[in-house]
Amino acid sequence: MKWLRLLLFAAVAALGAWAWVVLHPSPEKVIRKQLQGAARAVSFGPDEGYLAKLAGAQRLADFFSTNVDVQLDVPGRQEHRLAGREEIQQEALAARAAVRSLSVTFPDVTVIVNAGDASAVADLTLQAKVAGEPDMIVQEMKFTLRKINGQWLIVKVETVRTLSQGA
Amino acid sequence: MMESNSGPSQARRCGSRLRILAFGRNPKRTLVRAAVLAAACVAVFKLALLPVRVEGISMTPAYADHSFNFINRLSYLCHEPRRGDVVGIRLNSPGGWSPPHIMYLKRVIGLPGEGISFVNGRVRVNGRLLDEPYEKGACDWNTAPVTLGPREYFVAGDNRAMPKEQHTFGKTDRSRIVGKALL
Repeated sequence: MKWLRLLLFAAVAALGAWAWVVLHPSPEKVIRKQLQGAARAVSFGPDEGYLAKLAGAQRLADFFSTNVDVQLDVPGRQEHRLAGREEIQQEALAARAAVRSLSVTFPDVTVIVNAGDASAVADLTLQAKVAGEPDMIVQEMKFTLRKINGQWLIVKVETVRTLSQGA
Repeated sequence: MMESNSGPSQARRCGSRLRILAFGRNPKRTLVRAAVLAAACVAVFKLALLPVRVEGISMTPAYADHSFNFINRLSYLCHEPRRGDVVGIRLNSPGGWSPPHIMYLKRVIGLPGEGISFVNGRVRVNGRLLDEPYEKGACDWNTAPVTLGPREYFVAGDNRAMPKEQHTFGKTDRSRIVGKALL
């Protein structure tokens, strides 16, 4: 019976460890989840009603800090700069009006959490498919996040030139 | 008697054959074989040969849109990338041996230490014209000379007929080069 008690103890310990990991995820895991949530919030399907568009834009804005700075410079497209959560919300609404559907994913995410677990930098690849455009948009991006009121919020978004043409 | 028995015995034989076909004569050995095969597939297609699907027209005509290929991660274990090699380049910071999901597929046209420029659509390496038999379309690109560092390579797609602004090309660090295109 001793081995049975040992087995039971091991099972309880494993369950406890698993529960601890689930209930106390590392900052890196939380940030990854947050970024995937942001990618889902940027995406939208066709035939969205006005209220759904409004809710989608609001949901997206919730991932950013109030004074967020977004600098987008994708080759072949117009350079874009947004400042503040409200501008992001307006831009998200405008995009929903201009484009039929948009699908965004963030594969290959690398997260570096700075000492003190107060800020982090996420280097990732953005993959976007815009309805009606033959080619997929692929762009390296850098996201800076800060822990504000217990929540990881995006404070800065920058495009990164993977292949540079500078001297 | 014989006739009445032939039905169930035939069904048993058929079931036994199916079992042998699915699990082999020795199910334990089949299980081991399947596990070894699965492990080999994971090792080969995650660590050595990354299966990729080409998206876009920047490498036409050599690599058509939606064509299939592999990136050989072992190709540069013994030597460094050479001019003319078609390589996979990871987009975000090198993350060790974890395979990237998305890569650029480009051709190496400049090696470390060289000066690269486009003059009237022709590549010049240290001022000398580069022979590029793979480049088919008419090109009118002009760029300022770029001097490559000791670990930098200059890469570009083969389709230079497309506007320069829509074509991703330039210098990249050696650490971003994942491997060489196999096909």
